[in-house]
Amino acid sequence: MTIPSDPSMPSEPSKEAKMSDRPEARERARHVEHPVNDAPGRPQLAHHLDEVKPPSTEEILRVEGLTVNFPTDDGVVQAVRGVSYAVREREVLGIVGESGSGKSVSSMAVMGLLPKSARISGKIIYRGNDVLKMSPKEQRSLRGRKIGMIFQDPMTALNPVYTIGDQLAEAVLSHETVPRKHAMSRAEEMLALVGIPQPKQRLRSYPHEFSGGMRQRAMIAMAVINNPDVIIADEPTTALDVTVQAQILEKLLEVKDEVNSAIILITHDLGVVAGTAHRVLVMYAGKPVEVGETDEVFYRTRMPYTAGLLGSIPALETASGERLRPIKGTPPSLINLPPGCPFSPRCPLATDVCIESEPPLAATDALDHLAACHHWDQLAESDDPTVFFRAESEVGR
Amino acid sequence: MSTETSQPNPARGTPSDAAEGMSVVARTQGQIIRRRFFRHRAAIGGMITLGAVIILAYSSIGFGPFPGWWDKTYYSTASVVDGGRPTLSLLPSFLGGKGLRWGEHPFGQDNVGIDYFALVMRGTQQSLVVAFLIGIVSTAIGASVGATAGFFRGRTEAVLMRATDVIIAIPTLIFAAILAAAAGRAGIVALGLAIGAVTWTGLARLVRGEFLSLREKEFVEAARAAGTKSRRIIFKHIMPNTVGVIIVSATLAIAGGILLETALSYLGLGVRAPDVSLGSLISLYETAMPTRPWLFWWPGIFIVAIALSVNFIGDGLRDAFDPRQTRVRD
Amino acid sequence: MAVFMARRLVISIFTLLAASFIVFWGTSIAGDPMADLRGLQDEGQAQQQMMARRERMNLDVPVILRYFLWLGDLFTGDLGVNKFGQSVSGILAPAVSATLQLVIAATVLAIVLGVTIGIVSALRQYSGFDYTLTFAAFLFFSLPVFWVAVMLKQFGAIKFNDWLRDPTIPLPVILVFAVLSGLAWMAIAGGSRQRRLTALGVAFVATAGLLWTLSETGWFSDPGLGVIAVLVLAFGSAAGVTFLIAGFRHRPPLFAALATAAVGFVFYLASEPILEEPNWGLIFLLALVAIAVGLGIGYLLGGLQRRQAMAVGAVTAILVGGIIFVDYMLQSYGDYYGRVRGRPISTIGASTPNFRGGFWESGLDSAGHLILPTMALLLISFATYTRYTRASMLEVMNQDYVRTARSKGLTERTTVTKHAFRNALIPVTTLMAFDFGAVIGGAVITERVFGWQGMGFMFIKGLQDVDPPPVMAFFLIAGGSIVVFNMLADIAYAYLDPRIRVS
Repeated sequence: MTIPSDPSMPSEPSKEAKMSDRPEARERARHVEHPVNDAPGRPQLAHHLDEVKPPSTEEILRVEGLTVNFPTDDGVVQAVRGVSYAVREREVLGIVGESGSGKSVSSMAVMGLLPKSARISGKIIYRGNDVLKMSPKEQRSLRGRKIGMIFQDPMTALNPVYTIGDQLAEAVLSHETVPRKHAMSRAEEMLALVGIPQPKQRLRSYPHEFSGGMRQRAMIAMAVINNPDVIIADEPTTALDVTVQAQILEKLLEVKDEVNSAIILITHDLGVVAGTAHRVLVMYAGKPVEVGETDEVFYRTRMPYTAGLLGSIPALETASGERLRPIKGTPPSLINLPPGCPFSPRCPLATDVCIESEPPLAATDALDHLAACHHWDQLAESDDPTVFFRAESEVGR
Repeated sequence: MSTETSQPNPARGTPSDAAEGMSVVARTQGQIIRRRFFRHRAAIGGMITLGAVIILAYSSIGFGPFPGWWDKTYYSTASVVDGGRPTLSLLPSFLGGKGLRWGEHPFGQDNVGIDYFALVMRGTQQSLVVAFLIGIVSTAIGASVGATAGFFRGRTEAVLMRATDVIIAIPTLIFAAILAAAAGRAGIVALGLAIGAVTWTGLARLVRGEFLSLREKEFVEAARAAGTKSRRIIFKHIMPNTVGVIIVSATLAIAGGILLETALSYLGLGVRAPDVSLGSLISLYETAMPTRPWLFWWPGIFIVAIALSVNFIGDGLRDAFDPRQTRVRD
Repeated sequence: MAVFMARRLVISIFTLLAASFIVFWGTSIAGDPMADLRGLQDEGQAQQQMMARRERMNLDVPVILRYFLWLGDLFTGDLGVNKFGQSVSGILAPAVSATLQLVIAATVLAIVLGVTIGIVSALRQYSGFDYTLTFAAFLFFSLPVFWVAVMLKQFGAIKFNDWLRDPTIPLPVILVFAVLSGLAWMAIAGGSRQRRLTALGVAFVATAGLLWTLSETGWFSDPGLGVIAVLVLAFGSAAGVTFLIAGFRHRPPLFAALATAAVGFVFYLASEPILEEPNWGLIFLLALVAIAVGLGIGYLLGGLQRRQAMAVGAVTAILVGGIIFVDYMLQSYGDYYGRVRGRPISTIGASTPNFRGGFWESGLDSAGHLILPTMALLLISFATYTRYTRASMLEVMNQDYVRTARSKGLTERTTVTKHAFRNALIPVTTLMAFDFGAVIGGAVITERVFGWQGMGFMFIKGLQDVDPPPVMAFFLIAGGSIVVFNMLADIAYAYLDPRIRVS
């Protein structure tokens, strides 16, 4: 299957012909090895994963065969089509995917925050109990107390009409019967923990008096104020300046150790996951397509979609006349999914089998590295999996 | 009297992720709007009702040089039959009614024997004309003022918006009454123009708001960067994007217009005797309510039918034009 | 904030001045001010009167100059004379209070009812209740006020007063009401099937039982509350207020509410000497005392939920006070009924001519005259407030911060009453300012239907007579109260939204 070259791409000639027989090839393979941390503007984490406490073996949250459907006027949207994962204490699990891949919806299901119209099935097991079988009251007592959440846009996620202190204290008071003063001093502690200067004064500020980064810090404080076991961070840095992004991620890791919680880090940005997550789950069209240790997934990619994502990250050296390698096309409609691999229309490796049957998520050459691809072995053979995504003009020259 | 926004934006928050995954079958904007409109059952009902009322009003007693199929006029008196009771009957005989019957005077007669059906039809014609005039005039003024203020900004905007504020400071009915006091004498066209001249302020503010946000959009910047003339930017690039707001507003202005005109005619400031409108008929016969209630009911029913139909059409149009309409069923 | 408000006020005054010129000019050219004199038989007398009127109305100078003459007089506090030579302030004084009573009663009721129902409608989106209300709102938008007012006169007054002679409700009517109430509560309750069916059953039985009892005991011929009803209502509202403001998770707010209700009830039992013949000053004072008592009880019993308990106490105190007020007023119903010859709901005027009575009787008299015009006026604003609040609430419920509130584990009640409600009210305050003008316009029509000699009458008459001073006086009061109402809306806005306060 050939991919038509995108007419909107500028047709500036590339100096490269075929990668493998040029000296630049080695050079390029090298920066695939550090595809992310070398990228310009990428958060340079001072607080790397290897500096934080390692995960324990205790499993806290397990999701099994989770599916979420939304009935709409145009048909049933299959937003999540079977997601399974588990997180252990202090572990950071990155969930990566484009918008519409179901990554946010699946975590909303864990929080019990989906609209009433959503149809949810599967299991969400928190410390041995299935959340979906709990009464609304029990679910509520998990929310904010055992499972905290950080949202994407700190500009809109805080209520504009109440003070920061009030909103933080409220999180405490809704689960514990303590004096308000008590809750306020806890809020102050938390603001100090996330690095907001003069926390006592800041308790009386309104969200609009905070900068974006400060608000996201306040959100983190709010999510961890009850020492949760799991923090779900839904695109926590997407709406922030690049310089602030690194600080926020760093703070998140630091806070995680402070309260001993696991983090589910949802993002569309592989760069965010690279320095932060122990394991990665890549989602496409409502399903996980590749799961494994972060390094495994990054350096020994076994699913073309992940490879495509890696290929579309700009690297510093790319500037010299060579262009990005975007994935062509758009994600499929989740209403009437055709049979076969949902990525096949955009996949350079797709063959007839890909159009006929959807590959299961199965073990690849490494045992705990799972991928849903009929042709993962082809990727295994290649030095640089992103090579398949080069623009045709590049290849043809 | 209009709801500013009736549909919230359901595509915020959680379902958006799902909605983003939907692919849209290629359809033109017009087709999408038409499809959404025709799915709105109340709006279709409104269209049919309004159409029926218009056809009935104009075909029955005729208009201008055209004669109608109804053999009585709204000015000739006759002897009062059966106390002027309506002969119209819709209740079939087996239910104790008189069967489906139109009769000699379907809506009854007034105290001097004028056929009330003809009179109500005349009133409906006049009220419709005034209502549509109000809709057209207020939309034209509102859209132009709003567009000018929103596009040119600066001093032009300040002057126009201050003027709008001055007009808003006078309650609409009061202002309309004052203008109608003079214009009503000059006939229904003058009346429509006068009322239209005071009801445009809401639309002007809406259109200005739309313009202010649209002129910051990339495609307008692009047009400006390409050296396109202001006039062309307004008419080619911005206006088409405000058409939805304007059409919906125009519809609601017609609904508001008929209520305003009938209210003024009721107060004796709108359509004057010997001519009639639905409002002046009610004013004329309100005291007949305990004795001959039909003289009171018919004009009112026609006002409600017209206003309700137009409001439903407006709601259908708003749903159709509102791009945020991705209703998630509960 | 003060600077902002002052600036707004100055701008409003200038806007009002500019508008007043338009009104003056429009009225002056509305026709021939001499029309009534032209038909006079005695031509000499007509000539003489015309001369006098020309002099009085300054008809020899251009309209613009006439306006400034009027404006000059206004600054000296003189509203001028109408074309017949009567002092305008003399006509205005009795008209103002009646009209403002009507307009304010209608606006306050419309806001309270419209906002409440709009929010319920939004929270139960796509329910039968919501669809019914949506249809009702469209119907209300399409009803001519004057037509409805005439109907109200016929059915709400004439027929209702006739019915009061033998006030029994036929069984089928009771059943229809009970079914409707059951369906409404079923939709409002929402939630699981069992919960909805329970609501249906309870509401059906309660409504049917209540109506049947009231009908059988002849309550409508002498309505009143009495000790038991006051007791039940007081404790019922205590529970209701607690549910809405604090919920039942913690005990202290509930105890505070119940204690407040108990104190109110004890006061009621001992209140005879004080409330026998009060005045408005005393009532106001008692209301303040009630709030203080409620706050105090909340403070003492609040414990860890002191803030909520104080709010609950204060609101309960106000409600219990209102119940006692209504009880006292209804106690004098029997007397009043006799004095108006069995027709308590009036169709004409703002008060019964030559009616003299105590505080409670004249209160009933005003209420009997106000009720129908207020209902007619309510129609204009109620639908607008409902739709607007519903849209605003739906928008807010989809906001990220509501999701955040839920993610913190707040109960749905707290999420709605604390986080969504306040934000949903912010756009409604701007509607308040806008809507008030429409209500004043509606008052002109309503006054005409109900034959009130209020400001609306003054306006219409002045306009038809081509007589600017009364029209201008009307406009000054109307425009002035709109400005005042705008200020109130601004203050409410600033109170609700901290983002405004800084500027």
